[in-house]
Amino acid sequence: MLDPVYTVLSLIIIVPLALFLGVIYSFLIRKLSARFQWRVGPMFRMYSDLKPLLGTTRLLQPLYDILKLYGKETIVPDVSRRRLFVYSPYLSLIFAVTAILFIPFPGMPLLSGVPYSLIIASYLLIASTLFSILGPVASGSPWAAIGARREVELFLVSELGFVLSIFAVAIARQSLVIWDIANGGQSIYLALLTVAAGVLMLVAMLGKLHIKPFDMPEAEAEIVAGPYTEYSGKLLGTYYLTKVFILYGLVALFISLFLPPLATSVLWLPLYLLAALVLVFLLTAVQVLNPRYRIKNAINWYLKVVIPLGILNLIIALAIWLVV
Amino acid sequence: MSTEIKILKQVLSKYSKPMTLTYPSTVAPDRRYSQIPEGLRGIPERDNDKCIGCRACYFVCSGRATSIYDKDAKRTVEIFLFRCTFCAHCQEACPEEAIKMTNKFEIAVPDREDPAARVLTDLELLKCKNCGTPFVTKKLADRTYERLMEKIDPIVKETVSTDYKKLDGYCPDCKRAYGVDFDTHTKKYVWLEGI
Amino acid sequence: MKFEGAPDIAEYVKKEIYPDGLEYVPLRENRVAVRVAPEDLTKVAELFVKKYEARLIHATAVDLEFKGFEVLHIYDFSKKRDRLVVVVKALVEKDNPEIPSIANITWQAAWAEKEMKELLGINPLGTPDPRHQFLPYEWPNPVESGSIPEGNKFETPASATQTKEMYLPLRMPIEEAYQSLIPIGPYHPGVIEGQIVYVKVEGEQVVAADIKTGFHHRGIMKLIEQRGYNKGAFIAERVCGICSAAHGLAYITCTENLYEAEVPDRALYIRTLLVELNRIHSHLLWIGVVADVIGWKTGFMLTWGLRERVMDIIEAITGNRVNYGIWRMGGVSRDVSQELAEKAKRTVDNLKEECAKLLALVAEHPVVKSRLIGVGPLTKAQAFDGGAVGPVARASNWKIDVRADNPPHAIYDPKIVSWEVITDDHCDTYGRTLVRVKELLVSCGIVSQCLEYLAKTTGEIRIKPKSVPAGAEAVGLNEAPRGELAYYIRASDTDANLPHSIRIRTPSYRNNAIIPLMLVGSNLADVPVVMGSTDQCLACTDRVEVINEKDGTRKSLTWDQLINLSRRASRC
Repeated sequence: MLDPVYTVLSLIIIVPLALFLGVIYSFLIRKLSARFQWRVGPMFRMYSDLKPLLGTTRLLQPLYDILKLYGKETIVPDVSRRRLFVYSPYLSLIFAVTAILFIPFPGMPLLSGVPYSLIIASYLLIASTLFSILGPVASGSPWAAIGARREVELFLVSELGFVLSIFAVAIARQSLVIWDIANGGQSIYLALLTVAAGVLMLVAMLGKLHIKPFDMPEAEAEIVAGPYTEYSGKLLGTYYLTKVFILYGLVALFISLFLPPLATSVLWLPLYLLAALVLVFLLTAVQVLNPRYRIKNAINWYLKVVIPLGILNLIIALAIWLVV
Repeated sequence: MSTEIKILKQVLSKYSKPMTLTYPSTVAPDRRYSQIPEGLRGIPERDNDKCIGCRACYFVCSGRATSIYDKDAKRTVEIFLFRCTFCAHCQEACPEEAIKMTNKFEIAVPDREDPAARVLTDLELLKCKNCGTPFVTKKLADRTYERLMEKIDPIVKETVSTDYKKLDGYCPDCKRAYGVDFDTHTKKYVWLEGI
Repeated sequence: MKFEGAPDIAEYVKKEIYPDGLEYVPLRENRVAVRVAPEDLTKVAELFVKKYEARLIHATAVDLEFKGFEVLHIYDFSKKRDRLVVVVKALVEKDNPEIPSIANITWQAAWAEKEMKELLGINPLGTPDPRHQFLPYEWPNPVESGSIPEGNKFETPASATQTKEMYLPLRMPIEEAYQSLIPIGPYHPGVIEGQIVYVKVEGEQVVAADIKTGFHHRGIMKLIEQRGYNKGAFIAERVCGICSAAHGLAYITCTENLYEAEVPDRALYIRTLLVELNRIHSHLLWIGVVADVIGWKTGFMLTWGLRERVMDIIEAITGNRVNYGIWRMGGVSRDVSQELAEKAKRTVDNLKEECAKLLALVAEHPVVKSRLIGVGPLTKAQAFDGGAVGPVARASNWKIDVRADNPPHAIYDPKIVSWEVITDDHCDTYGRTLVRVKELLVSCGIVSQCLEYLAKTTGEIRIKPKSVPAGAEAVGLNEAPRGELAYYIRASDTDANLPHSIRIRTPSYRNNAIIPLMLVGSNLADVPVVMGSTDQCLACTDRVEVINEKDGTRKSLTWDQLINLSRRASRC
């Protein structure tokens, strides 16, 4: 059904495309939260007199920030376990990039047609997070240790929601292949499931993306920079790059799982982007309206929300599987 | 949740206009200095014509920003803006009302020695007729005489005036050394005490 | 308006409060200086604090050259009699200056006694905590007055090496300290000012805490002693950038108490106006900072957005945003025109509405509440013993407010301006938030009353001050946004224009001392919140500065170079 040449080509194209879209999403989060906070934020259209100096637009500002880090000195602390400390960011990035190859984009099925692509994609996303914990732990800083500990705790509960929501969909659609799910039809029952699982996924995304009130691993007022305290230069830039890819990956996964068939044909591209915009807007609104929880409160909150919602999801999914 | 929605409303009520001002962009030149109120106390400026070099501002300067130094028959009155605290003490103290606080505030310069970081006034010094040492600014001498004539009691006015003219142009050291030769009217001080 | 005390105040103190004093000198405005023998200081402290429940404002000492050191304990008796402040003095010899420590009786004196020891070398005998507070722990102990180590060597005396644990934070064995101590500071994103709070954690639970300050001493008190009364106002303002009006007013109150001052009413209104505007913007700033510390950037931006408008009003009135520079002995230097007052009144009234709306929402936000309720508990008894002041004390349901008890030279008479003292019984950070939110609205009310007066009337704003009599003493108090602010000035015996000595007790000095008390038992995530909850201002606490020269080639400075450098910088 798929042309191998096209697949290879699209695999090559998707990486810069994902980076670009991830940067745009980051830009939107920054711009929207700035406007929520009565600030200007990164300029979409630069002041006319500053154009020669700063360019027409600062749409790629998040990317420039990362590129700046690549030009900086990288310091590796003496007390760290050097190999793990240095390789973790790159491994994290590789896993994140690999994960997005399994998530379809309008007009580009990529590798999402391979068997069990849903499980592969979610595993790769988890592996990426895992290495963003392992590296900091190897740095030997107390702040990083506390941050990593918080990250693990948060990761455990948010992952629970993530897994429950995607598998509810998988059960209802009777498939573990993202491409099949993304191509699936709609019905009233499935729409119901989409709403329930979508909310759960959104909640899980808050934790995975460190959106407030769940940004305690990076709570700067408490634990400096959290896991990234000892990271600098290229290594820190790599972590930030990973975050951009993960932001893109989660948004893409959300749309392909819960809003079929937006992620299939090129014709759906405008709607796809609109859905992404809405999703980013929702994330930003949560981000700006909430202070940070304590880790204890966050876990309680997650358990209170995720477990009932997850069970509800599973019941709906099973009902759809058995009845429809 | 309801609180959050209310906060969202509060936030969005001002959503369209950020509070950030466009300074120093020249996009909206009319709004460039919109943040400056009328009474802003910026850097002090000195009217070179009015300043007489009397050093009143030097004595009251709370930040020790004002300094006065004489060099080669020239007295320089200086306010070093890096040290200025904009307290307006000098404006209050100035007898000639030469110092005025302006609402200029852009005084950042890359170099301490930059003339833009200083408010300078050069004044001509009078040289002693006898020994040639510069000792007082011309304007201060003139102004002292003027004010003396304004304030002095009419009874002694004439005597003081003639005496002043005799002594005029000699430095304090010379006045002291050659005081007898000037043949001034010593009695006037007694009259002054009597008043 | 003239500021006179009751004529019989010295007799009153002798008869009712403490009969065994050696000498009773009435100072202006119901302040009484009582001279006692040095060994009686503990007796006096016990009597005053335990029996009369008087508040210790400050304990300090003055160097009287050949006469010796004069130790001063300043007590607040305003609950007993209107505006009564008792200054207990004791003269100690210079050869071997020792005083009995009162930190065992009332723990709030601990920091003050340490400061006495560090600045002047007066040794408090039997103090519970002999470590340094502002000097480094390794500094030779006790400090010899005036001596500077030769070269760049800091020789630790033998006594210090023997008891090395004594100099460590929390006084725990060294091995243990390196394992579980987390230093919050000296430079930490949560509290962006120089201090170290060491917390010992088990998991995320704080089991012990200790605080070390002294990272930026600026020598401001010495600077004012050299510059004189008029210029001193500008330096006093620069003790703290946020509560500069409060410092200005406290300083002016103190200097005006040195001579028979007369201040026109309009000037008093302008002073009140400025101090209250200052309080509004300081409280808005605090709410923003706490919002930032608990991770709510939006709350930070919104409150600071409102604060910006207060700053604009201040700028329009005084011409400056931070250091107003209008404080003069006998009045103020700048009038508020009637049009400006009307305009400002409209802005303030709008602002009050908006603040009320927004801050009520902030205080009701569920996540904010979950982060603040029960955090940093401080009971009333602890607050009294630790000497909490300002909103921290009032949030522990202890009704003290200098504006009501011992007002500065401004308009706080409840007959003229209607206002109230806010208290709260939450006894935690949430209580402190509520107190500040309500106080801010009360301040808005005072400001609009002052502006109303200013818009209707005209008049003079300044009366020429008389000369300060030799050897006069005065205590000036003011309620800064962070709490009670105390100035003590002793006039020079010879020069009418120079103070002999000046002592400043800032509110953060007190509130910082009780931070370890509030920290124990809290979560690590709450440490910055608790530290922030006192609205600490390290510039106030330390009053110190490290001067770096731009010269990049010379990294380390010898003592002589450093001293020359600082002399050059302050041109003294």
